[in-house]
Amino acid sequence: MEATRANPHFLVNRSRVRLFGLSFDDCIRVFFGGNAVVSIIVLGLITFFLFREGSGFFGQNRQNLIVYRQAGLEYVDFIRAQQDDHTALTRYLSDLRLRQFTYATEHAPMSVAAANASLARFDDFAGQFGDTVEPLRTLVSDLTEQASAIKTKFTVMEDKKEERRQLLDEGRAGDAAKVVITPVDFAAELKPILGTLPAYRAASAEFAQGLERVLATAPTLPTPELQARMDRFKLHTRDYLAGFPAVTTQLEAWDYTKPVPASQAFTSFIFGREWLTASFWQDWYGVIPLVVGSLMVSLVALLLAVPLGVGAAVYVNQIATPAEQKFIKPCIEFISAIPSVVLGFFGIAILGQALRALSQVSWLSWVPGFPYSERLNILTAGCLLALIAVPTIFTLAEDALNNVPRAFKEASFALGATRLQTVIKIIVPASLSGIISAVLLGLGRVIGETMVVLLCAGNRIAIPDFTAGLAVITQPVHTMTGIIAQEMGEVVQGSIHYRALFVVGMLLFFLSLGINYVAQRIVRRYRISIG
Amino acid sequence: MVTTAPILMDTRPVAPASTFRPTTTTPAAAGPGAQAAPAETLIDIDHVDFFYGATQALHDVSLRIENRKVTAFIGPSGCGKSTLLRCLNRMNDLIDGTRIAKGSIRIRGVDIHQHDVDVIELRKQVGMVFQKSNPFPKSIYENITYGLRLQGVNNKARLDEVVEKSLRGAALWDEVKDRLDASGLGLSGGQQQRLCIARAIAVEPEVILMDEPCSALDPVATAKVEELIQELRTRFTIVIVTHNMQQAARCSDKTAFFYMGKLIEYADTRDIFTKPANAQTEAYVSGRFG
Repeated sequence: MEATRANPHFLVNRSRVRLFGLSFDDCIRVFFGGNAVVSIIVLGLITFFLFREGSGFFGQNRQNLIVYRQAGLEYVDFIRAQQDDHTALTRYLSDLRLRQFTYATEHAPMSVAAANASLARFDDFAGQFGDTVEPLRTLVSDLTEQASAIKTKFTVMEDKKEERRQLLDEGRAGDAAKVVITPVDFAAELKPILGTLPAYRAASAEFAQGLERVLATAPTLPTPELQARMDRFKLHTRDYLAGFPAVTTQLEAWDYTKPVPASQAFTSFIFGREWLTASFWQDWYGVIPLVVGSLMVSLVALLLAVPLGVGAAVYVNQIATPAEQKFIKPCIEFISAIPSVVLGFFGIAILGQALRALSQVSWLSWVPGFPYSERLNILTAGCLLALIAVPTIFTLAEDALNNVPRAFKEASFALGATRLQTVIKIIVPASLSGIISAVLLGLGRVIGETMVVLLCAGNRIAIPDFTAGLAVITQPVHTMTGIIAQEMGEVVQGSIHYRALFVVGMLLFFLSLGINYVAQRIVRRYRISIG
Repeated sequence: MVTTAPILMDTRPVAPASTFRPTTTTPAAAGPGAQAAPAETLIDIDHVDFFYGATQALHDVSLRIENRKVTAFIGPSGCGKSTLLRCLNRMNDLIDGTRIAKGSIRIRGVDIHQHDVDVIELRKQVGMVFQKSNPFPKSIYENITYGLRLQGVNNKARLDEVVEKSLRGAALWDEVKDRLDASGLGLSGGQQQRLCIARAIAVEPEVILMDEPCSALDPVATAKVEELIQELRTRFTIVIVTHNMQQAARCSDKTAFFYMGKLIEYADTRDIFTKPANAQTEAYVSGRFG
């Protein structure tokens, strides 16, 4: 103390290393703070980029829908839908033929030739039924060509406009003026299409008559069960026929100038049931098949991963000996070290094959959906995704179990509870919110997983057929992550397709954000309740 | 008026500290509120050596705990009193590597560490209240009924009855009767501890072990728990571990003093605090060490 008083210079900051006027301590602070700031900036940039690229989609999609209407594609689609419904009915007949054939060869033993011969009358009926649509078919193919032509003209005009704009941007006004833009006069172009309405009425009437006539010749089938199906077919056909006037009314009421509301650009994306790109006719960007695909795969994955992950966590935390713990924990955590592409590869090469072989074992045929032939489907992808979710769920659930105060366990034992009773009634309920958030984070992990679903989900862009019941899990689907990975490399930058993929990315982003947010909330509440 | 059998003590010379002589209780020196009825031995601890792995925590401990009496274990930290308490309902089984190397603990003549003893049944008979109050993160009602439900009692009327009886028994009924469905964790520290006591008595055990039940409570809550112990002593045999010598003096009938894993002296509480037979006991109770 005396020395300090004697030397007044003691308190003066003596020559320290300074960098840009900052002391050493300041530099360290800037370094660590800077790292945090960088990550926040990167997150902000990603979000901004996602939104900037994605936001243009809705305008373009609306334009897409407007062209669909103005070029008359919508008009033609009314008639095409009518034709497609007929095709569905023909498929029903083919199915019925297959059933009769099976019946003939198996229950009333006949040779294949004899069976086919016995079906001659039915085949004749089915053939005639198929031919009734002919008048409509000719009309539709004509109209399709005309509407496509209008759309092409419009596309050409848009391309020219774009060319001129680019030239102007480059400052070549002279060249720009030379670009010829032929404006499309939709009213004039649509005249021939609209002019076919009388022809349609005639074709439709002929078609209806044909159906009535053929239906009257429907053969009776050998068993009540088959006959019931035939009756159902007749019923469907009558319903179909009853719908004809409605189509005519639709065509008559159709107006190409009717505006497309801005909200439709959004709803046709969010609720759209079709994702159809690079089509010769009309592109649709409906995200429902992808969302359903992602959710189905995640659901199957969670159904498998939750019991596995939570069960393993309970075992390791409550029951296992220290030696078992030392072995099991690293093993499960090691799963997350497997690259997902390797898992996907394994899924294609081994799991898909094995599951399909299993499905074809005869004594397992009671399992819904068995046997199946699509090797890559929801089930295969779900099984592999479960493997990806297990380490996440296991680790977090084990943490949650670990955080249950030892005192609860002791109190339970002291009251005469067995180990199992303690686990079920005290430990798991006390850590339940922790376990739920573990499951949610597992879900987030699974929904965002790309490689495995791209390789193993089958990549068929369609809403799976839920009328199949549980067998739905043996159908192939496509997912939100898969479609981005698959199509992003091929699309033209700035095109509507490109932007649609970004919007799918945004949707994924919000989904993950929501899941994580809910999980965090639950964890926080859980911390409070445990104290 | 002789209340106890002579206490079994090892007569062999052991550690230097064991210069004390076996002590017997004097007939007149009963604890506060002593009963005239002759006391019977409920728990007979007989020459017990206890190990945590390679570490010996109890050295040749022998004492007899009397039925319907409050017995206090006192001694400095690490002297083995909690270990002995947790042997009485085999809570030490939960810790790996623990064992009783020698001796036995008999409750009503049954050696509770035999392999054929149902430890679940034992713990129903020997309830426990812990140092830190540990109600389950459930409602007050569910906390009380937990033990009964484990035994398969699901009759609502019976459960209601037990909840009221136990909470009244733990002097908590009036404070919580309007919020039985509220979480047990929402109570104050003292209330939580009384809830734990209520939970323990709900299964009607014969013995209640209390491991420093008041060490985390303020003086007012402590007084309430002590009052409660006085009421419970008529129905249960209570063994209480405490650091608080006043507490031992106030609410126990008999006191055992432990030091370094050995039982130094066991006698009527009044004798321990007024005329201890052993110099170490005297030093401890008079506050000269520990």
